[in-house]
Amino acid sequence: MWAEMSASKGDGQAAGVVRACVLNLVVYVAGKEECPEVNDLLEDVVERHPCRAVLLVVNRAATEPRLEAFVSTRCQLSAPAAKRICGEQITIEADGPVVDTASTAVTPLLVPDVPVFLWWKDIPHYEDKLFDRLAEMSDRVVIDSASFDHPHKDMLRLAEILKEGNLRVSDLNWGRLTSWRSLVASFWDVADYRQSLAQIERVAIEYDPPDASHDEIAPKALLALGWIASCLGWEVLADDSSLEAGRAHFKLSDGGREIEAVLAATDDVAGRDGMITSLTLRTAAGDEFFVVLRHNEGKLETGARLGGDGQKVGRVLAYEARSEGQRLSAELDILSRDEVFESAAEVAARMLSSVAV
Amino acid sequence: MQAATVVENPMRAGMRLERTAEPCAVVIFGASGDLAKRKLIPALYRLVQEHLLPAEFAIIGLGRTAMTDEEFRDKMKASVVEFSEAKSVDEEVWQSFAGGMQFLPSNIDQPECYGELAKLLEQVDKEHGTQGNRLFYLSVAPEFYAEAVRQLGEAGLTKQDKGWVRVIIEKPFGTSLDSARELNQQILRYLDESQIYRIDHYLGKETVQNLLVFRFANGIYEPLWNRQYIDHVQITNAETVGVEGRGGYYEKSGVVRDMIQNHVFQVLSIVAMEPPASLSSEDVRDEKIKAMHSARAFTPERVAAECVRGQYGAGSIGGKPVPGYREEQGVAPDSTTETFAMVTMWFDNWRWSGVPFYIRSGKRLAKRVTEIAIQFRQVPHQLFGAAAMEQVSPNQLVIRIQPDEGITMRVAAKVPGQVTRIRDVNMDFRYGASFGVQLAEAYERLILDCILGDSTLYARKDMTERGWEIVMPILDYWAARKSEADFPNYEAGSWGPEESFHILEQQGRHWRRP
Ligand SMILES: NC(=O)c1ccc[n+]([C@@H]2O[C@H](COP(=O)([O-])OP(=O)(O)OC[C@H]3O[C@@H](n4cnc5c(N)ncnc54)[C@H](OP(=O)(O)O)[C@@H]3O)[C@@H](O)[C@H]2O)c1
Repeated sequence: MWAEMSASKGDGQAAGVVRACVLNLVVYVAGKEECPEVNDLLEDVVERHPCRAVLLVVNRAATEPRLEAFVSTRCQLSAPAAKRICGEQITIEADGPVVDTASTAVTPLLVPDVPVFLWWKDIPHYEDKLFDRLAEMSDRVVIDSASFDHPHKDMLRLAEILKEGNLRVSDLNWGRLTSWRSLVASFWDVADYRQSLAQIERVAIEYDPPDASHDEIAPKALLALGWIASCLGWEVLADDSSLEAGRAHFKLSDGGREIEAVLAATDDVAGRDGMITSLTLRTAAGDEFFVVLRHNEGKLETGARLGGDGQKVGRVLAYEARSEGQRLSAELDILSRDEVFESAAEVAARMLSSVAV
Repeated sequence: MQAATVVENPMRAGMRLERTAEPCAVVIFGASGDLAKRKLIPALYRLVQEHLLPAEFAIIGLGRTAMTDEEFRDKMKASVVEFSEAKSVDEEVWQSFAGGMQFLPSNIDQPECYGELAKLLEQVDKEHGTQGNRLFYLSVAPEFYAEAVRQLGEAGLTKQDKGWVRVIIEKPFGTSLDSARELNQQILRYLDESQIYRIDHYLGKETVQNLLVFRFANGIYEPLWNRQYIDHVQITNAETVGVEGRGGYYEKSGVVRDMIQNHVFQVLSIVAMEPPASLSSEDVRDEKIKAMHSARAFTPERVAAECVRGQYGAGSIGGKPVPGYREEQGVAPDSTTETFAMVTMWFDNWRWSGVPFYIRSGKRLAKRVTEIAIQFRQVPHQLFGAAAMEQVSPNQLVIRIQPDEGITMRVAAKVPGQVTRIRDVNMDFRYGASFGVQLAEAYERLILDCILGDSTLYARKDMTERGWEIVMPILDYWAARKSEADFPNYEAGSWGPEESFHILEQQGRHWRRP
């Protein structure tokens, strides 16, 4: 295969094929229908992370056992006449009874010594044997909490897994929060505002209801609040919290000072699945710091309304939703534990427990 | 409850959030000029787009041209469209950025202007929350650097009582050792060294930064990085462009002043330096200057024997005919300005004793490329016989800085078959490819670093002076022998004068074709 490719280019040296591999990426998908999407997405990933991709396509419903593998290459030609950067892709299809042990077909295919990422493109079935086996041989597992079909229950389970500490988990949905977090954090790069951090009395987050489970709180909103609370060392108070369809009320405390947090669903808008649409922090002095998404315009507006004189410092920024491939790429950059994420998930779970879901 | 002062921003904890700049006002001297239009404003706008600049941010443009704020904003918007990749700007995003942009018509040598500037800065602090932090960017002709700093100082604008004050100084920094020393003295009268950021846009390039990582994050190269294993080093810094209408400027400069003394020496010092104690800007720059201190001085004999100057005559680039240097606009018909130079450097220290560093830099060469080639020693004993080894050269490690940033290692391998025939194979690694990212423009990185107070990628006083100290004997020697320059002595589109090849050949070496 490789010989053919370099030969086809002729002058092997000047503009040949460069085979590169910085990691193994094992992708789990449930069902062939998902393959075209995943293949498109891998294009984006390979450009940034030349890798060996093992795509494991599973059909659990089948009764006949079947295990088949195909090999292909994936190339990038970044500039005209530049070298082609290539990596291999191996597709394994596993049906029926062999699914549980399909991991044994993956192991020998991994390139030695470079890290193994497992992208579980499905709701994580933590009890599932295949998940368990694949996760065990991986350095990092990538999931997407936006795909949770029972956000509350799944969030609690995720927090438990993180706490056990055996898995290093990346959540694509947490990655989607990065630009929000950066904008919120930047208010307090201003030294003058920093003292107001100790005076926050209300946090309000609005989110689009998750498509999978309309009445539950979007995981992103939970993670965002969990992040703010864990950064600022707030405790979750058990009483006075409440949860109803599309609205949650939590009581938090900063060394005795109470803080109210409200997570509220907006109208359901197509294409906004579970996104945060606004986040506002209010201080006892009446100062407000906010970030608002203007979804249909593709803009984010950020600003501070400062108490008495109503002065407003703000900025409008373009909001470029990144492609899923770029998101996944960003996760593949990270190998170490993401402690900020772990704490955010932990606090989110504690808040959910306080309302006894 | 009275909150204790929080020093750090607790929300910045963790690894994903990129460094965002502190609130500040950027004052651009020469905002109506070419550099502001082509590089500075587009870079600042890119930083906004990447969410790396805070909302508490303002720009004040200075220049003699009378312009209203509105005219200035429109002009800058047009240049962002023209000179950035985006080719269009979002109206609302632009407005919210441009809202903090003002123009103050002023003359650098008139003290009244600085009083107005001070007032305007106070007002900007109030309206835009810029916290008294100031970045003065001197994008004006070099003869104004000292005057601008003096005036700022006299007006009390260099004092850091409310926030920080930093000054970015463009290239060229001086035109000789004396003028660089004088300039340093003049600005240090009003500024502390920690406030001064001398631009060397080469250092803003991702690959130059990668060079540090490459050397000190990989265990396998450092043990080989010395005279024991390295035969010699070649640094090529080649441009295909000519003087591009700046003939008048170039006539007073030449390639040694324009490229070698600053950019090439910065790169060279990173190749030659010892491992720093830490990556702090002072530690890194300490090691770089230490390496340059051990560079052997150029005596007239050495310049005669180991350096070559050149000037291009007519030729062709990419198949198109181009005129010779003396035919360019603003260039004297008998000009002896060098557009090419090759110099041989020796570092008299334990690591590099006996290892020559060959450097060449020039305009109108065959290909635009900047690279460092490390040539390792020949294997000590030929196991495979002359015939087998005929096609093999010693191992070579090539670090390309532009374009196509990356690293290539040349190793010998057996050609498959019954007879032992050995050929060279290149093992290739490209940054752009392995991490497939758009590398940031040098100016973006450098401006952000300055706002963040990180001067690692800026030239320190001692380095600017040392650079000049090293090249002065070469410049003096050539200046004293103007009539001996047999110019033009290379054709545009070639790899430079023959003599630059002879010097290596006499020592049994040869220039790599990049
Ligand atoms: N352009 C580049 O690509 C480039 C590259 C590397 C380094 N540099 C360096 O960057 C600096 C600026 O270069 P440039 O190309 O932008 O030069 P330029 O186009 O000539 O601009 C010079 C600026 O200085 C202003 N100016 C001149 N005399 C003044 C005075 N007495 N008072 C106030 N303002 C005055 C001019 O504005 P008014 O005419 O309105 O007063 C103009 O805005 C130079 O040091 C240059 O060496 C430039």
